[in-house]
Amino acid sequence: MRPATKAFKAAADRELDDLASRALLSLFLQYGSAMRERGMGTFPDPAAALELGAAIRGEVIARLPELLEEFERNATARGARVLWARNAEEACALVVELARERGIRYVTKGKSMVNDELGLNEALEKSGVEPIETDLGEFIVQQLKRPPFHIVGPAINIPVEEISDLFMEKAGMKAPSTDPVELGYAARLFLRGKFRDVEMGITGVNMAVASTGTIINVENEGNIRFSKSSPRTQVSVMSLEKVVPSMDDALHMLRLLTRSCMGLKITSYVTMDSGPRKEGEIDGPEELFIVIVDNGRSRVYADLKAREALRCIRCGACLPSCPIYGKIGGYPYGWIYSGPIGQVLNPLLLGLGETRDLYQACTLCGSCKASCPAGIDHPALLLEYRARDAEGGRALEGGKRRFGEARLFDLWALAVRRAWSWNLGARFLRSILNRNQREGVISSGAGLLSGWFLCRDLPALPRRSFHELARELEREEARPE
Amino acid sequence: MREVSLLIPCLVDLLLPEIGVHTLRLLRRLGVRPVYHREQTCCGQPAINAGYRKQARKAARHLIEVFEGDREIVSISGSCISTVKHRYPELFEGDPSWRARAEELASRLFELTEYIVEVLGTEDVGAAFEGKVAYHESCHVLRALGISEQPKKLIRSARGTELVELKQADLCCGFGGEFANSFPRISEAMVKEKQDRYLESGADLLVLSEPGCLLNIGGYLSRHHPEKRAVHIASFLAGAGTEGAN
Repeated sequence: MRPATKAFKAAADRELDDLASRALLSLFLQYGSAMRERGMGTFPDPAAALELGAAIRGEVIARLPELLEEFERNATARGARVLWARNAEEACALVVELARERGIRYVTKGKSMVNDELGLNEALEKSGVEPIETDLGEFIVQQLKRPPFHIVGPAINIPVEEISDLFMEKAGMKAPSTDPVELGYAARLFLRGKFRDVEMGITGVNMAVASTGTIINVENEGNIRFSKSSPRTQVSVMSLEKVVPSMDDALHMLRLLTRSCMGLKITSYVTMDSGPRKEGEIDGPEELFIVIVDNGRSRVYADLKAREALRCIRCGACLPSCPIYGKIGGYPYGWIYSGPIGQVLNPLLLGLGETRDLYQACTLCGSCKASCPAGIDHPALLLEYRARDAEGGRALEGGKRRFGEARLFDLWALAVRRAWSWNLGARFLRSILNRNQREGVISSGAGLLSGWFLCRDLPALPRRSFHELARELEREEARPE
Repeated sequence: MREVSLLIPCLVDLLLPEIGVHTLRLLRRLGVRPVYHREQTCCGQPAINAGYRKQARKAARHLIEVFEGDREIVSISGSCISTVKHRYPELFEGDPSWRARAEELASRLFELTEYIVEVLGTEDVGAAFEGKVAYHESCHVLRALGISEQPKKLIRSARGTELVELKQADLCCGFGGEFANSFPRISEAMVKEKQDRYLESGADLLVLSEPGCLLNIGGYLSRHHPEKRAVHIASFLAGAGTEGAN
C-alpha cells in the first residue's frame, strides 16, 4: 500500500463532510469503548492487568534480539523453517519464491497487517499467484480495493448494501440480501471451495513464544485456522516485535488483546502451532515457514526512545479511545496503521518528513495511553517526534519546518526569561488582537490565528493582564473583602 | 498565616486575568495568604508542544528559579502543572541537577481543587450557585494528574447547586493549543460535540478546571450559544462569572 500520509488534512476534511461516516464513527466510538470497558472489567484488577501487560512488553523491547534468537532456536527444533527478511522486497521475494517452487496458483490469506505493510498481495499477483483474503472484512476491502478503515475491523464502514452487491458479483451470491447470516453464508461457501483445494496458506502472527517456538493466532472467523491447517505448506509472516518470552506471558497478553480489541474474554478461535505436523499426527501442514520481517524496525529498535513504539500488540484499543480518530476514521492516516498507533508507528517506518500531520494532529489528551495494554506513552512519543523534527535530527529524517518558526520560538525564549520583556510582548499582542474586537469579543483574525476563528471567538484581551493587576491586588489584601 | 504561591498560567495572565483574581480571593477567604511572584512568565508548554525543547528549557529554568523557594505552589491549569511534573524531567534528561530541581519543585506544586480538598482539607468553601452544573473533565487534570473527585466534591458542596451528569465528560474538547488552530475542522467537530453534550445535560452552567478548555468551549459557545456559560472552577467557587447563567 502506497503511503498517502501527506494528504492527511484533505482526507480528514472529506471524512468530516461525510455524514454517514460521522454517524458510524460516533456509534463505533461509544460502542467500542463500552465493549472494551466491559471486557477489562472482567479482570479482578484491571489496572494491575494493564501494568503486567506493560511489564511484559517492556521486557520484550529490552531483550528483543535475544528473544528472537531463542524463538528461532526453539521453532527450528520443532521442525519449522525460520526465514529472516530485512525489508519488504526481501520478504515478498522469499514468499513468492516459496510459492513458485511449489507451482502454486493461489494462496489463502489470513488477516495480517504486516502483509499489508509489505505489499505481499501485489507481489504475489505480479508473480501470477492469486492471493485470496479469507477474513470477511479483508475480503471485502480487497475486492473493493480500499485501504483498511480500522486496524481490526477493516470494513466496518462499508454499507451492507454495497457488500451485498459485491458478493453477488464476486462470491456467487444469487439474490441481494442485507441479512448478515446470508451474507456470511455466501462468503463461507465461496471461501470453503478455495480452502478445499488450497496448497499454501499465508497468515500473520499475533504472538511468537520464544521459550517454546510456538506461533499464536487470534481470530473470530476460523479462516486463519483453515488457512493454517488445510494446505500442505503454511507460511506465517511476523514483524519482529511480535515475540514474547514465555507461554505465561503470551497467555496474559492474549487476555489483554481480546479484551482490548473487542471486549471479549477470549475470541472464538485461538490457534497455537509449534512446528509442522509430526510423525503420527493426523493433521497440520507438512511444512511450516516463519518469515520474520524487519522492514525498518531494527533501526527503530536502535533508538532507545523510538523503541517504545515496538511495544504495540495491534489490539486496536487506542482507536476508539481517540477523539480525533472518532471524527475522521482510519483513511486520513494514509497507511496501514491508523489512529494513535498509526501516529506513533507510521512516522518511524515512513520517516518524520513524510508524516508531519500525523504527529501534529493530536491534542495530547492521553486517552490512548490510558487504554494501552502494552504501556505505550503515545503523547510522549509524539512530542519526541515533534522535537526531532524541529531540531532537524537526521536519525528519523526530520527537519524541514515552517520557515521562521524556530526564530519565533527563539524570540519567545528570549522574552520568557524576563518578565518585563514578556509583558512588553503581551501588550504588543494585545494591541494587535484587540483591533478586531467588538463589544468585548474578537470574532476574526487574519493570518496566524485564522484556524481558531473558523468556529470560535476569543474574549477581547482585557486592558490589564493579571501581572498588571497584581500590585493593586496586594493592596486589596490590607482591606477586608 | 499560611502562604501559598500562585502559578498563573500565561493564558490566564493575558486573556482571562479575572480567573487569577477569583483564585486569589478564594484562597484569602479560606484563610490562606496568596503570594504572586511578578517575575513569572510561561511554563514553556507551547514550545514543548511545537518541538522546540532548547527554547522550552529556558522557560523551564526560569520557572524553577522563580518558584523553588516556595513551600507550597498552587496553579489553576492541569496542563501547566503536568508540564512541570511530566515534561520538565524529560527536558532535563541529560542534566541531573536541573532535573532534580524540577522534580523537587513538582512535589510542592498543587492543582487548586486538589490543594483545597487534600491540603487544606475542606470541601465547603462557601460557594453558592442556584442551579444545575455539569463538570467537564479536562484531559490533563483528569488523565495527567488523576484529579476528578476533588472538583466534583467542591461543586456538590456549593449551596443550591446540583451536579448533573455530563455524558462523555472525559472526552477531549479539541483545544490542544496549536492543534485548535492548525486542525480547525477536526477541532470544531470535537468542540461542537462537547457543546452538544453540555446542552443535552440540562445544566445551567458548565464548570471546568483548565483555562485552555475554557477558551475553546467558551469561545465556541460565544459564537453558537451565547446564552450558555462556561466558567473556570476558581470563578465558580469564588462566586463570580456565573451571573446570568440561569
